[in-house]
Amino acid sequence: MTELAQAIVNGLQMGFLYALVAVGLTIIWGLMEMINFAHGEFLMLGMFGAWGLSASLGLDPLLAILPLGLVMYGFGVLVYRALMRRVQGGDPFTQIFATIGLLFLLQNAVVAGFTSDYRFVGDSILVRLSGAKLTVLGITFGVPLLAAAGLALLLFLALYLFIERTEFGLALQATSEDREAAMLVGIRPTHMFAVAWGLGAALVAIAGAILVNFFAVYPQVGLQFTVLAYAIVALGGFGSILGTLLAALVVGVIQSVTVVYLPPAFKDAFVFASYLLIGLFRPQGLFGRF
Amino acid sequence: MARLALLLGAVAAIVYPIPLQLQGYTYYQTVGFLVLVNAMLGLGWNVIGGWAGQFDFGPQVFFAVGAYTAAMLYVRLGVEAWIGLPVAAVVAAVLCALLTYPLTRLRGHYFAIATVAIWMIAQPIGATWELIGGSQGLFIPVKPRPDALAGALSLQFSGPTKALGYYYAALALFALTLGLMALVERSKLGFYFRAIRDDQEAAEGIGIDSRLYKVVARSITAAVFAAAGVLYAFWALSVFPEQVLELNWSTLPIMATVVGGIGRLWGPVLGALILIPISQIMSTTLGTGPLAGRGIDLIVYGLIIVLIAAFRPTGLLSLPWGRWLRVRERARGARQRASER
Repeated sequence: MTELAQAIVNGLQMGFLYALVAVGLTIIWGLMEMINFAHGEFLMLGMFGAWGLSASLGLDPLLAILPLGLVMYGFGVLVYRALMRRVQGGDPFTQIFATIGLLFLLQNAVVAGFTSDYRFVGDSILVRLSGAKLTVLGITFGVPLLAAAGLALLLFLALYLFIERTEFGLALQATSEDREAAMLVGIRPTHMFAVAWGLGAALVAIAGAILVNFFAVYPQVGLQFTVLAYAIVALGGFGSILGTLLAALVVGVIQSVTVVYLPPAFKDAFVFASYLLIGLFRPQGLFGRF
Repeated sequence: MARLALLLGAVAAIVYPIPLQLQGYTYYQTVGFLVLVNAMLGLGWNVIGGWAGQFDFGPQVFFAVGAYTAAMLYVRLGVEAWIGLPVAAVVAAVLCALLTYPLTRLRGHYFAIATVAIWMIAQPIGATWELIGGSQGLFIPVKPRPDALAGALSLQFSGPTKALGYYYAALALFALTLGLMALVERSKLGFYFRAIRDDQEAAEGIGIDSRLYKVVARSITAAVFAAAGVLYAFWALSVFPEQVLELNWSTLPIMATVVGGIGRLWGPVLGALILIPISQIMSTTLGTGPLAGRGIDLIVYGLIIVLIAAFRPTGLLSLPWGRWLRVRERARGARQRASER
């Protein structure tokens, strides 16, 4: 029983990290309905950036969040203005191709620059705390993961308030619902899409800066997170920020509970089996609104 | 004109390895083999992706199903590849139909991710199922054959003519696939697929069962992938999960199809002819230098795909070649007339 409870707690903590990765996709895919298969590569760039700043300047990854977020915001806007804007109006397939091309380009540019070796952040606040544990009722909580989960919650809250409570967030939602109507009330859709791409890239880069404390950095690290993020956004109901958070927690728990009973290779299989079941019987997702 | 080009292409494909073989080179036969395998996979993907318009990210599952089926038949029961290959294609098509029917409720991106989901579920099954060898997979032993024909029918070639043998085996399978796809393209089936792609509601309005025909399209794709999987398994002399379930078995053919022209019969062929040699030539020219193994070929692929998506999403074949070529002919004619005068 304690084993199961421990697995659920571990799953929830992982879930917060997944939520961070998925939330950028919620904005680009869920809210603005554009596909980005290079999402994991944005994450990888964030992780490499955090690793690089830590290795060269000794900057803690948690402090690297600000510069990385800003740079990747610019990168996201650039990707939209230079590439995605061109392919937006056409066949939806074209968005898939464009971002797959981007995936290959970014991933292998990093391979060319840094090789496929695994890299680790040697010294950071969270790494130093890695031995610290809290034990409540026989269930162990790792302090670094708790801290990361707390950060994830904070980011989600900020984003939720931004999307739901500010005029800018409402303009984003209006653009996603009806472009022409949004234009009539003076919103520039291309501007809104560029902001959405910037935000999506910045958020996933921030996620990367937090993730480097827990995972090795290598150019191919993105794919495993991309496929999970897609399942999470779909499970959570497209475009719902809170739904994404809850779905990420569900995914984390499914993974860690699966591992208690089955070989570890199956931990993603059950996540995707639930994606299929929910996609077929409840296409609006677990927490979708329509 | 088109027929002449087809004839010339066929002759070139048949003849080009012979002088190389006589001089003792085998490298370009293997490049040709990989081009043909990827062109064949692209032809298969074009059915679900190009004609039926459903983005399928998981056809490599059926590549693996084909490879495993034929390998199991050969290793466990001694069934030769010329029986194993059609059996594998049928098994993959049936399995694909069963798996895909429920998925056809999903559309667009959601369908694409569902195909990824099936691939994600297939990976641990392949890695842990002891019957098919688990993560070690199966080894395909080379058995001595009485003559060359028996070797060819069992898809087993060895010695100095190994590369040449597999090249011609791939050429035969590729030609068969191309012929079948040309038939499908012109048949009612092909028109149903494209009708569903262009406007699903309208297609249903004139009585086309969109779910049924999406399943048929994906099963054709699966059968082609399975046949290619069988060929690949006998070439590699082994089948194991990480090899046959690799993502490249879908991304390379998809990229080839997009570069050449999605939804066009010859699109994947042109794309494979461009993309696969790039990778092979790069790996030889970079050799063991500082940039070897650094994914430079994949950077080039990525760049090509991004440029195609941004500027010509319908692919290279959709460029106005006819007009350009005619203009050049006319210019040449004019120059000739001028020089005659």
